[in-house]
Amino acid sequence: MTTPLVRVSGLTKTFGDTAVLKGVDFEAAAGTSTVLLGPSGSGKTTVLRSLDTLEIPDAGVVGIGDVEVDFGTLPAQGRDREARLRALRAQSGIVFQQHHLFPHKTALENIIEGPLVAQRRPRDEVVAEGRALLAQVGLEDREDSYPSQLSGGQQQRVGIARALAIKPRVVLFDEPTSALDPELVGEVLAVIKDLATQGWTTLIVTHEIRFAEQVADQVLFLDGGVVVEHGPPAQVIGDPQQERTRTFLRRVLHPGA
Amino acid sequence: MRRLLVRSLAAVVVALAVTAGLGAASPASAADEPVVVVGTEGTYPPFTFHDPDTDDLTGYDIEVVKAVAKEAGWRLTFVESSFDSLFVALDSQRIDVIANQISINPEREAKYGLSTPYTYSRGVIVTPSDVDDITTLKDIKGLRAAQSTTSNWAGVAKEAGAKIEAVDGLSQAAKVLEQGRADVIVNDNIAILDYLATSGTKKIKIAGEAEGQQTQQALMFRKADSQLKEQADAALQTLRDDGTLKRISEDYFKADVSIEDGGEAQAEGRAGRSALDVVKDQAWPVLKALVKVTIPLTAISFVVGLALALGVALARISPRRLLSVPAGVFISIVRGTPLLLQLAIVFYGLPEIGLNFDRYVAAVLAFSINIAGYAAEIIRSAILAVPKGQTEAARTIGLDYRQTLRRVVLPQALRTAVPPLSNSLLSLVKDTSLASTILVVEAFRVTLNAANESTEYLALLILLGFYYWVVCWILSIGQRRLETRLDRYV
Ligand SMILES: Nc1ncnc2c1ncn2[C@@H]1O[C@H](COP(=O)(O)OP(=O)(O)O)[C@@H](O)[C@H]1O
Ligand SMILES: [Mg+2]
Repeated sequence: MTTPLVRVSGLTKTFGDTAVLKGVDFEAAAGTSTVLLGPSGSGKTTVLRSLDTLEIPDAGVVGIGDVEVDFGTLPAQGRDREARLRALRAQSGIVFQQHHLFPHKTALENIIEGPLVAQRRPRDEVVAEGRALLAQVGLEDREDSYPSQLSGGQQQRVGIARALAIKPRVVLFDEPTSALDPELVGEVLAVIKDLATQGWTTLIVTHEIRFAEQVADQVLFLDGGVVVEHGPPAQVIGDPQQERTRTFLRRVLHPGA
Repeated sequence: MRRLLVRSLAAVVVALAVTAGLGAASPASAADEPVVVVGTEGTYPPFTFHDPDTDDLTGYDIEVVKAVAKEAGWRLTFVESSFDSLFVALDSQRIDVIANQISINPEREAKYGLSTPYTYSRGVIVTPSDVDDITTLKDIKGLRAAQSTTSNWAGVAKEAGAKIEAVDGLSQAAKVLEQGRADVIVNDNIAILDYLATSGTKKIKIAGEAEGQQTQQALMFRKADSQLKEQADAALQTLRDDGTLKRISEDYFKADVSIEDGGEAQAEGRAGRSALDVVKDQAWPVLKALVKVTIPLTAISFVVGLALALGVALARISPRRLLSVPAGVFISIVRGTPLLLQLAIVFYGLPEIGLNFDRYVAAVLAFSINIAGYAAEIIRSAILAVPKGQTEAARTIGLDYRQTLRRVVLPQALRTAVPPLSNSLLSLVKDTSLASTILVVEAFRVTLNAANESTEYLALLILLGFYYWVVCWILSIGQRRLETRLDRYV
């Protein structure tokens, strides 16, 4: 049996007095899509941000590929800490709920910023790759557009291309369609679905249950800072074992009821 | 972060070195003749003033000190400043000698090295023409006397019981008297005659002698520079013996004032020019000073100031108290003290602890520190106004602190910072006029000198105001263009 690409165990995080993560454990195999479900405030964003080191967990281990960081023993400061965090950060790319594109850079410039500046790769090469990524997200004709000149769905697709450009081992999505007008949701989900079929490893926080059923190899249900239930979508969504999962799904699938 | 701080500091050092180079651009000294820096008002005709035709510094005192230098083998550099500043300048070794009708008195003899006299003169009392009841020093008791505070004549007026209204030079004193803001002036007979002839004014008159005020004027050195003083004495003796002093004096006064009882001095003045003529004459010199001094001073100070400000702003934001606390203290001090005070501290104060900067360097230093204090707060809040998501996005694609700052945060902060920074720049353009207090001959000083000399204050000050306004107007056009450019992606 091969080691899973993503390994998370015992992750805890407290903000002030609130314990947000109380020991999160899960794994994800390379090339699979994992959907993270859970009520608002359950800590989904914090899990994703911890993987990309935007949040530093109090304890627990995050492993992606051959990089592994044990936050319980991570030094509080110094070169060694920075180097380890940088290595872990390079393993993932994140797509935010609000795209956070750089407003002063064009679509192409946004995409090549990481490879060109952080990874110091040759411009010719990264521009060619950037154009290919734009084509992949269906925006080959918008490379010179500034974010303000793009629709919400287009902005989010550029955001996806930007996350892919650094060639991460895993791509993290934090409610990528929640901020979009309903008619723009489809185009973004289509792009994400594409990635899954192309072999990217993805970890997706979303409230789009139907989408989760189609795309997920694994669904995690997070509540109260722990993974309450996990398994294939047919099980977690189709036949949830926990009462908390059932309540959540009822509320999401029948918001009016 | 630390490297960025080091870089901004390096930028500052380089800029200072460049200005030091500019400031020190005195002619290469020939052989080993000592360079002697002469301090003088340049606005006290006929002793020290600018020839209205050639704009050259001239006058009785100037010609005398030049003749002395020739005898003594000195090379001269002239520095012009208000009378009161001359003394501080001499004390702080900015200048080596004052040639400005310095009257010999016991206090000065105790503190300074005074040469043998080259002028014998007497004091007179000046009043408005329609005043008849003031003729002797006894009559000025309790009246308001317009005087340069450190001048010997101020001492005489004070002694007689007058209240001193402080002014910068005789010409201003006369204006104040004409305008009814003072009651009397006590000053040198010749200087008054010259003023009356030049201005053609009928509003004030010589009302009487300042009895007992036969005074003698000498070159003034620092006490410690006894060698310079001795050389000056020897030179004056030679010039007296060979008739040179007499000749210079007769050129200016049709009498020999270099000896006692050398005849009644007269002054021709330089009358007959209308305000329009004066403005026409001065339009170019003032513009030249604006372009050659005011604008470079502003530009260099602003650039150095901004580099400093960026470092201070970053230190202020830093989570490390070792950086943020000193930065906060710096900002607070700069914003909590007058710019004029900061200039005076850098120029007159620091030499006392061995930091003796050239006047231009001192000006750049003081102005850039001042800009740094204000701009640091502007830059800090502009940086904080960039959404947190931007730095997070930059980090997740692998940019480090410096790359994030340079490529993501600062370009966006710039848009917020441009309007308030432009305000700082516009203020700086005008604030450089304060450098006139530390011997920098910039546009304001040149204008004031011309106004003192010609007595045409209103016209010349309006001319200068117009120039400042044009510069600021051009800058604000630049600001608008820059804003439009930065707005293109919004
Ligand atoms: N930086 C922070 N400081 C304080 N509290 C935070 C911070 N980030 C998140 N929280 C809190 O942690 C809890 C979980 O947040 P989050 O991970 O965003 O949940 P979810 O994404 O599942 O809605 C929430 O109660 C939220 O208010
Ligand atoms: Mg969230």
